[in-house]
Amino acid sequence: MSEIISQEKLRRLVGEWISAGKRVYGPRRPKPGPVLYAWLKAADELLLDGYVRPANSIKEVVFPRHEVLYSYRLEGKKISMGEPEPLSAERIVVGARPCDAASLTILDHVFNWDYKDSFYNRRRELTTVITVACSRHDAHCFCTSVGLAPDAERGSDVLLIDLGDGSYEARCVTEKGRKLLAGLTEQSSKTGRVPPGPEPKFDPSEIRSILEGNFDSPLWQELTLRCMGCGACSYSCPTCHCFDIADEGNARAGARARNWDSCQFGLFTLHASGHNPRTRQGQRQRQRLLHKFSIYPAKFGEVLCTGCGNCTRNCPVSLGVQTVLQQAVKRVPVTNGSETAAKSA
Amino acid sequence: MLEELRQTCRALLADGKADVVIGYAQDDPAMPAYPVFVTRPEDADRLVWNEMCLPNLVAYLTRPEIKALGKPAVVVKGCDERALVVLAREGQVDRGEMVAIGVACDGVGKPREAKCSICDVHQPRYADVVMGQAKNEPVDAAARYAEVEEFLKKTPVERMAFWREELSRCVKCYACRQVCPLCYCTRCIADKNQPQCIDTSATLKGNFAWHLTRAFHLAGRCAGCDECTRACPVGINLRLLNLTLARSAEAQFGYRSGMDPEAKPVVGSYSLQDKEEFIR
Repeated sequence: MSEIISQEKLRRLVGEWISAGKRVYGPRRPKPGPVLYAWLKAADELLLDGYVRPANSIKEVVFPRHEVLYSYRLEGKKISMGEPEPLSAERIVVGARPCDAASLTILDHVFNWDYKDSFYNRRRELTTVITVACSRHDAHCFCTSVGLAPDAERGSDVLLIDLGDGSYEARCVTEKGRKLLAGLTEQSSKTGRVPPGPEPKFDPSEIRSILEGNFDSPLWQELTLRCMGCGACSYSCPTCHCFDIADEGNARAGARARNWDSCQFGLFTLHASGHNPRTRQGQRQRQRLLHKFSIYPAKFGEVLCTGCGNCTRNCPVSLGVQTVLQQAVKRVPVTNGSETAAKSA
Repeated sequence: MLEELRQTCRALLADGKADVVIGYAQDDPAMPAYPVFVTRPEDADRLVWNEMCLPNLVAYLTRPEIKALGKPAVVVKGCDERALVVLAREGQVDRGEMVAIGVACDGVGKPREAKCSICDVHQPRYADVVMGQAKNEPVDAAARYAEVEEFLKKTPVERMAFWREELSRCVKCYACRQVCPLCYCTRCIADKNQPQCIDTSATLKGNFAWHLTRAFHLAGRCAGCDECTRACPVGINLRLLNLTLARSAEAQFGYRSGMDPEAKPVVGSYSLQDKEEFIR
């Protein structure tokens, strides 16, 4: 036996949630333009099929691109400090992809490692994630190369699988998910099946050894020479989580905020002295790959990538994790760690 | 035409007339072609030319990493060539120290990019060598700025609502700046942080500050390659901003950026016949 819910009912629920003051986030199609996850104002904005995945990611729900940490105000000689309003509205993500949902469990580590980030954790507690399994993929998808699948449950509270008849099998993965859909699903004998995902394209442990054994290789510069140095890859990535702290305001009032930042920017590593340890784009690209496939795994035991392919899809010159790593594997025959210098480069 | 292109590039490299050819390569005909830097004559076969050759390669001419490769030859479409004309006029590239390989273009992208429907430079005009034949039909100004004219029919309140919605999506990835051949500042004002001139926050205020500053800096300079719009991961219609300023430059000064290599840049020139009193 399984539980099912119709698309119509799901949409109706979204409308009810919005009316009840819950914040609903899901794929929305602006006209014209790419499909993007966004805060929905009405249930009919939700777009549930007809695309591979949105061009952005759901990380913004737990890690907004701009978040005020505190504010200040000066009135005469009086100085007042302000804390942001405590969050209370429940947040529901509807229509996440498995490669988005999985990113939340990855981000949990970094925001709870030596310092417990109350801003992140509060948003995470308030959020329930309803994922829709993938019924198609494109050339940029590589979830199966990083241990995920079109119907991976990781990070989801509910996983919906399209039954092809206007309804979904609803797998309540967590208690949170069960609570959200309690009494709203129907019992059925139908179970959902997804088509196979993309063929695996590389092995992350091989990638790690290539990266660690070839730090000084000219290969990275060569493979990423066309990189134009924007942050489209980082900002559309579900797992990239680097941020900058910015003070903005004037002599009377202002705020300290946390803003997204990207390792692809020259400013990212520019020291106050004027020295920059990463002067070339190839070094910045290498850093992004190292963080994802070596540094993060060494610390937390898993890769910092869910194979969503957004980096390549959004790159103006078609670079991305998959593009670079597939070339690197071809160019560096792995024998053992110490002998893998890219001789051809 | 493809063989002619490869042959030309092979010869340029073999004869030492160029150290690097900046062109397009492609792995799959259905996917966008991407920039490639060919330095050996035997690699010229990697080059392709077709309607999937979207990026404006002129942007690479001012990059330190690419300059380090030596004397460049660059493949340009007619629209890309307009940006090259501006770069040369602004003293950023020495046309004598590079080779421009023009390619006739009937339009790029599937579906066609919006810029292609108002293009009057299908055939490159100033390249050192041009492959193929395309026809440069005049497009009247009304058609060129039709998108702006249509937009201006909205009330100011509606227009502001449109821009609020568009710019609220900006995440400040700076793809618009990075792909722009004319955004060559060594340090962009958005990156000046002592003090911070423009809010780095991707808030409505910070986003308006960024996009308006960039648009003004490109006023009378933007050559209309529309790479910023193509590169934007959240689909902001930056073309509309740039076209608005291009329309003003044409209406006020009869100037179209990148069309005439001899024309004095509208921002960098001064005339006693100017209709404004304050300038005299």
